[in-house]
Amino acid sequence: MFGLIGHSTSLADARAKARNLGYDEYAEGDLDMWCSAPPQLLERVTVTSPTGKRIEGAYIDSVFVPEMLRRFKTAKRKVLKAMELAQKSGIDITALGGFTSIIFEDMNLLKEERVSAVSLDWQRFTTGNTHTAWVICQQVVTNALKLGIDLATAKVAVVGASGDIGSAVCRWLQRQGVGELLLVARRPQPLIDLQHSLGEGRILSLEEALPEANVVVWVASLPESLQIDTATLIKPCLMIDGGYPKNLDTKAAAEGVHVLKGGIVEFWQDIGWQMMEVAEMAKPQRQMFACFAEAMLLDFEERHTNFSWGRNNITLEAMDWIGAASLRHGYRSLALDEQQVEEQQVDEPAPVFVDPSADQTQALASA
Amino acid sequence: MATLASPVADSLDALGLPDFSTETYKDAYSRINAIVIEGEQEAHDNYLAIGTLIPDQADELARLARMELKHLKGFTACANNLGVTADMPFAQDFFAPLRNNFQQALSEGRVVTCLLIQSILIEAFAISAYHIYIPVADPFARKITEGVVKDEYTHLNYGQQWLKAHLDEIREEFEQANRQNLPLVRSMLEQVSGDAAVLQMDKEDLMADFLSSYQEALMDIGFSNREIAKMAAAALVG
Repeated sequence: MFGLIGHSTSLADARAKARNLGYDEYAEGDLDMWCSAPPQLLERVTVTSPTGKRIEGAYIDSVFVPEMLRRFKTAKRKVLKAMELAQKSGIDITALGGFTSIIFEDMNLLKEERVSAVSLDWQRFTTGNTHTAWVICQQVVTNALKLGIDLATAKVAVVGASGDIGSAVCRWLQRQGVGELLLVARRPQPLIDLQHSLGEGRILSLEEALPEANVVVWVASLPESLQIDTATLIKPCLMIDGGYPKNLDTKAAAEGVHVLKGGIVEFWQDIGWQMMEVAEMAKPQRQMFACFAEAMLLDFEERHTNFSWGRNNITLEAMDWIGAASLRHGYRSLALDEQQVEEQQVDEPAPVFVDPSADQTQALASA
Repeated sequence: MATLASPVADSLDALGLPDFSTETYKDAYSRINAIVIEGEQEAHDNYLAIGTLIPDQADELARLARMELKHLKGFTACANNLGVTADMPFAQDFFAPLRNNFQQALSEGRVVTCLLIQSILIEAFAISAYHIYIPVADPFARKITEGVVKDEYTHLNYGQQWLKAHLDEIREEFEQANRQNLPLVRSMLEQVSGDAAVLQMDKEDLMADFLSSYQEALMDIGFSNREIAKMAAAALVG
């Protein structure tokens, strides 16, 4: 069984979602109430690969909202409690979605002392970063071609290059062969280390890198204050928004600047779930974060292990393996012309909640 | 210049252990420790009382009751070790609302309500509180409390097993008992949150941990996710 740990994009969204699902107490609760609330297993689904293999999974809402990021202890507890719930629910492999993997890494929860009765079995969790990195690389290759950008001579800036996903993307693009890698990140030392390990790449500030780049891969969270002067960008420019949350489209909207949501995949058929509705996917019945898909892939392949774990451990071999599994089980990387919300879907009423305990999860598929 | 800020707070507030010898600590400890002692005493009495409602389980319940008395002695030793006198009258008042509900249910033979109050609600709260206390306890109390936690799991488990076996008949009474008693936990917690803070036990942590344990017990009994979320929310908005 696979699991997905996610969260809402804001307290307001979370309350609206709770209202839709019929959790009135939560819909009316304030931030303090949400801080104390325990994680919830909201939905169970069955997913079938084109190979015929069927797997079952569950979606756990960590009841975390981004407003809690500054409440260190709360954020930490939310992630660990959601992981505990996944483990206690007997889930073999669970992906940490959205901010939960960022919190896990940044707060170094791996080194956390036992916080409660349950000792977490790390083998049961994955950040999903290997698949995310592979998908982002596919998106670069496919969409650069569509825009007439020749990768062999193009300059590709990776913003957040020294991070877990960023460094994997750099290594993959290096093997693929690009004109030049422009390395951008917050802290200088890890960038220098990365440049050293790659044996190539130019370290630049964000302001220096943007006007030079034909392709920009963003795998860092963007500060609210970030301003991009689109007039200085090369046109066409492909921007892959692989960070979380995905808000680049509002900052880099201009003629000739093509912003693509990064690390998103589309499944070959509808999945009977409703959790992706809130993640603002264009086709929520099929599209999802690649990190979530990684948990499904590991379950399809019966490889129940923490495939993506720790920082900068992603190898090209692992990316190749997860990429092959991704294709085999019916996932496709989101492309530029596929991310628009179709009109009919905007007008659709919200699906009716089906109690996951009632074993009617498939009923959602027709909603 | 735009910087790529980490979204997560950088600093970790690393508090050391509290100073166990201060008057402020001892004063707060006199009430928290009393609550624990009173809780163990009431648990002892409650298990014996539940045995009168389920006579075929009386022996097992008597065994659990004896274990609670052993815990009581351990926690009394913790107070002595710090030179603190437990404020028992405070603790007796503190438990009055829950005790009254238990006694009422007992007199009416409502075994489901009695089990919910004692073996699910109180045990889940005790386990969570002990877990949060252990990392900030003095070395003597830490050892005692760690031993107690192991025992308490068997108690939580006892109530769960019985309720699980009777799930179909208990639903209605369980939900009603939940509605009546779970909000009491929050008001009890509010009453002692200042004292708990002196012991470096955070109110939000206590509530969140309690609700996780409580939810887990409900999950094991066999309630649906939706029922569980609804019942747990009674502690937050009741």
